[in-house]
Amino acid sequence: MAHVKVVRRSMRPEEWTDLRFTWLQRGIEADREEIGGITIRDARQIAENEYEYDPAGERPLKKGDLYFTPDGTVFMRMKAVIPERMRSQQVYFSLKTAAEMIVKINGRYAGGIDPNRERFPLRPSDGYELNIEIEAYNRSKPDDERNPASLSKRGCRQIFEGAYLTTIRDNVQSLVYDYTLLMDIAHSEYFSEDYRRFLFKELSRALDYVDFETFEGVDEAAAYVDRVIYRNTDFRGSGDVALVGHSHLDIAYYWRRIHAVQKNARTVLIQLRLMDQYPEFRYTHTQAYTYETLEKYYPDLFEELKKRVKEGRFEPVGAMYVEPDCNVPSAESLTRQFLYGQRFFRRAFGLTIDNAWLPDVFGNSWIMPQILQKSGVKFFVSNKMSTWNDTNRFPHNNFIWRGIDGSEVYACVPPTHFITWNMPSQIQENWEAYQDKEAGGQTLSMYGYGDGGSGVTEEMLELARRFEKLSIMPKTELTGGAAFLRKNLEGNPNLSVWDGELYLEMHRGTFTTKSDIKKANRALEFRLREAELLFSLQALKGGDYPADTLRECWKKLLLNQFHDILPGSHIHPVYEDAMRDYREIGEKLDALLAPLRADRWFNSLNFRREWLAFIPDEKGPVTRDGRKGFWSAGRLHGLTAGEAAPLPETPDWLKVREAEGGLSVETPLYDIRFNPDGSMASLHDRSLERDWVRPGCGFNQLRLWADHPGMYDAWDILPNYRDVPVAFEVAEPLRLTYRDGSSCELTCALKTEKSSWRMVIRLFAAHPGIEVEHLVDWHEKHVLAKVNFGADVLTRELLCDTSAGYIRRPLTKNTSWDEARFEVCHHKWMDLSEADAGLAVINSGKYGVGLEGKEVSLSLLRSTIRPDITSDMGSHDIRYLILPHAGDAVAAGINRTAFEYNVPLTPVDPEVPLWLRSALEASTLYLQSMKRSEDGSMLILRLSEQDGRRGSFSLGRRVKLLNLLEDVEGEAETVAFRPFEIVTIGVDM
Amino acid sequence: MTCREVIEQRLAPRLQGDGGWVEVAEEDGGRVTLIFRGECSKCLILDRCVSWMREEIRRETGEEVTLIPVRKKPFFWDNQ
Repeated sequence: MAHVKVVRRSMRPEEWTDLRFTWLQRGIEADREEIGGITIRDARQIAENEYEYDPAGERPLKKGDLYFTPDGTVFMRMKAVIPERMRSQQVYFSLKTAAEMIVKINGRYAGGIDPNRERFPLRPSDGYELNIEIEAYNRSKPDDERNPASLSKRGCRQIFEGAYLTTIRDNVQSLVYDYTLLMDIAHSEYFSEDYRRFLFKELSRALDYVDFETFEGVDEAAAYVDRVIYRNTDFRGSGDVALVGHSHLDIAYYWRRIHAVQKNARTVLIQLRLMDQYPEFRYTHTQAYTYETLEKYYPDLFEELKKRVKEGRFEPVGAMYVEPDCNVPSAESLTRQFLYGQRFFRRAFGLTIDNAWLPDVFGNSWIMPQILQKSGVKFFVSNKMSTWNDTNRFPHNNFIWRGIDGSEVYACVPPTHFITWNMPSQIQENWEAYQDKEAGGQTLSMYGYGDGGSGVTEEMLELARRFEKLSIMPKTELTGGAAFLRKNLEGNPNLSVWDGELYLEMHRGTFTTKSDIKKANRALEFRLREAELLFSLQALKGGDYPADTLRECWKKLLLNQFHDILPGSHIHPVYEDAMRDYREIGEKLDALLAPLRADRWFNSLNFRREWLAFIPDEKGPVTRDGRKGFWSAGRLHGLTAGEAAPLPETPDWLKVREAEGGLSVETPLYDIRFNPDGSMASLHDRSLERDWVRPGCGFNQLRLWADHPGMYDAWDILPNYRDVPVAFEVAEPLRLTYRDGSSCELTCALKTEKSSWRMVIRLFAAHPGIEVEHLVDWHEKHVLAKVNFGADVLTRELLCDTSAGYIRRPLTKNTSWDEARFEVCHHKWMDLSEADAGLAVINSGKYGVGLEGKEVSLSLLRSTIRPDITSDMGSHDIRYLILPHAGDAVAAGINRTAFEYNVPLTPVDPEVPLWLRSALEASTLYLQSMKRSEDGSMLILRLSEQDGRRGSFSLGRRVKLLNLLEDVEGEAETVAFRPFEIVTIGVDM
Repeated sequence: MTCREVIEQRLAPRLQGDGGWVEVAEEDGGRVTLIFRGECSKCLILDRCVSWMREEIRRETGEEVTLIPVRKKPFFWDNQ
């Protein structure tokens, strides 16, 4: 007998309750008056608060018309009179839309409308005659999937469903909130089966009172719910959850940063209006930049916000300028995020924010705790490690985070997402996922829509008012971010300690995606360093210091370090904006520095250079990074200018011959056997008497891999990315293409069907560095390009620069934690060393490193298609230096060489006071920054210990000891420092 | 402006602003085949956008064209 599957076709009792709940929701609205005479004007935003208007001008808008255009903003106007019949009741402005709208009524910022809220109450002071103006941005990318059905209404062209004045049945609305709360529990597996069965039964009985034609019986139903469900205490829950209202806002992502100005204003407006209605409501808001734009473009709202800040209800959190990526920016960039962020909060509100609020960032560098602590920040909040890790469960939620230098901050990695809608199931899930129940106090649950979804809604607050009526729910508290952190973490002796980076086991591709952006960011970090240093020296002798322009340049760079810009996870126009910003910063610095130009070359580093310097010269014989020039010894003392003579010639230093299908190259330093593709089969070091190439492994070997991470295309590299190699051909085998008395170039051409590649390898007669330049015309799709280094070095760890010290990363795969770190972030260098010798690879703008057991790899390029189908397409020029050395990385001075490789000599000849130059050159610290203090009173020197040593530093005079905010914390003549410490001192100017 | 110029210079940047992408694949008299990629490739209401594009082309060039949309959806959106 054939098997017949029994399909239930009749309605279950639970479905009958679900259905009647939808009928109940239809009864909320009691009366409506359609607003006529609406006009609309199409526009497109072209800059912050600047629009390009449709030349057709205003047109009438009627129900059923299509409105909005791709990337469009519209301006709508209408007049309405509240009908007599509504005047004794609370009247609402109502409009269903998939867009994000700021609504002004009679000139007042009255409220906001978006897919998460379709009405707001009018004030009696608005009067009966209403002049309504709406500015609306088309919402292309929702941040939540709460209402998948509404996706069909979202998109570039929408159908206008009319605008209305409405009144509501308060009792129906209240019962709908009850049912929203209780139905969520009834459908959630986070609550006990018995309780859910009880709920379904009683919720059904309560609805039996309601006539869904007239909505009579609603009060009786509500009384039944109160009596039978809310007062029932037979079912007990546990837990203690702090609820913090928050709206995450990506400055740029599926929208350009120019749109974040309005997204932010709408969010703030909606939260302020909710504060008018709900006295218990507190809200947290991050990013000094968003406050800055509000102050500039919406001064009325900003004044209102300031009052709420003073009351303690609108809470600035996150001391940084934006929520930056926390892997790729340098220590100095992260410092500036705090410096400019805190300066804003101090000026605007008189507050120094004591927390860093980074819910969405893709992991956090080990250098962070020290930077936080020295920026007035005790607490750190970041969500992703708990909910996004793909391999290991991060073991803590409330804990102490110890940094690379031993600094400690209180840290919270909340157990769940930073965007929730405050549903009981989400709160219960948070409690169940919380791992520090016994030691950490309350757990943190953020609630509120994000990214222009405009934060908290009436519904979320109405639900919160009902939580305490339910014995099954965890205990909850509506609180603020800082209040939660102080109450539960500060001084808590039971917290565990996490000593290491906060590596996110996901989004590993963001160290590499959009190569151009990362390269420009690195270059500008160092150019800004140099510009500030040169103008500080000028100011020391009474000259100008262009503080405003330099600050403006820094802020633009910091803005583009936002965690969906610098990591490369954004749409194409965001990339174009970033590259335009970088060009503008470069041009501003060029213009500033032009008057300082001289014929001598200046070493802005505080130590004598040993690595060669490339001197741009139109008549030079070598082309590097697109510029002609020549190689110079560059052995200038720190902070000294001098001549840049070409390298001395060494007769007959190079022998090149064809051998075994490749090239055999002999120099005074090496015997190298090259393969036709530029990889090395052997790299014999004459002075160390060893070969650096591990037999059977690729060394300087280009590898292409199929890179299909799926939905998180720009973000992720999957652990199996090495499963499918992508073939390329050697179009022209490696050959000698240039030689002179001190250097040579070997070049090969590689190609795939779509891309072409030229690899230039530079060898030097008297310097051990081997420079490799890749000139790529890249047109792949879902291909990851890496260069492998299979080094014959017996070590179980790779040292990686963090920009303020190095981190040791295991090369073993002994544990799941090791395995998960198959792609990591580094800064200027990585190093594999034995006790007496090692091999470093120093780069000029690359961050991703693959750890593949016998080989390590430098990630060069990706070719993802979401969110930007053009990601990384086009020309690239990538350089790195292979540097075998005696001793380990510290003994070999790899930090110094890496600085030299990234900081070129500059044609200026500044006057450097002897006391300053000699003290700085004598120090083992690295000069990260020399600038004038923000208040103009001091010369600031920021020095970092990066080799893991203790010591002391003296300028030979009494100096001020500063934190990173340039606050004076003491005075001393000699400053002691510990390993990996960042020291900031001030000298009166 | 030609029809292609309107699409490439005026309309494509606007679609890009919403995470979308459009390319002219073929012009054959008054029939223009367009490839939609990125967010446009899975848009549930692409027909509305195509109508708008047709109106914009008519407004800019005075030409009546037939736009034939082709979606190129990446594999990871196949189940959506």
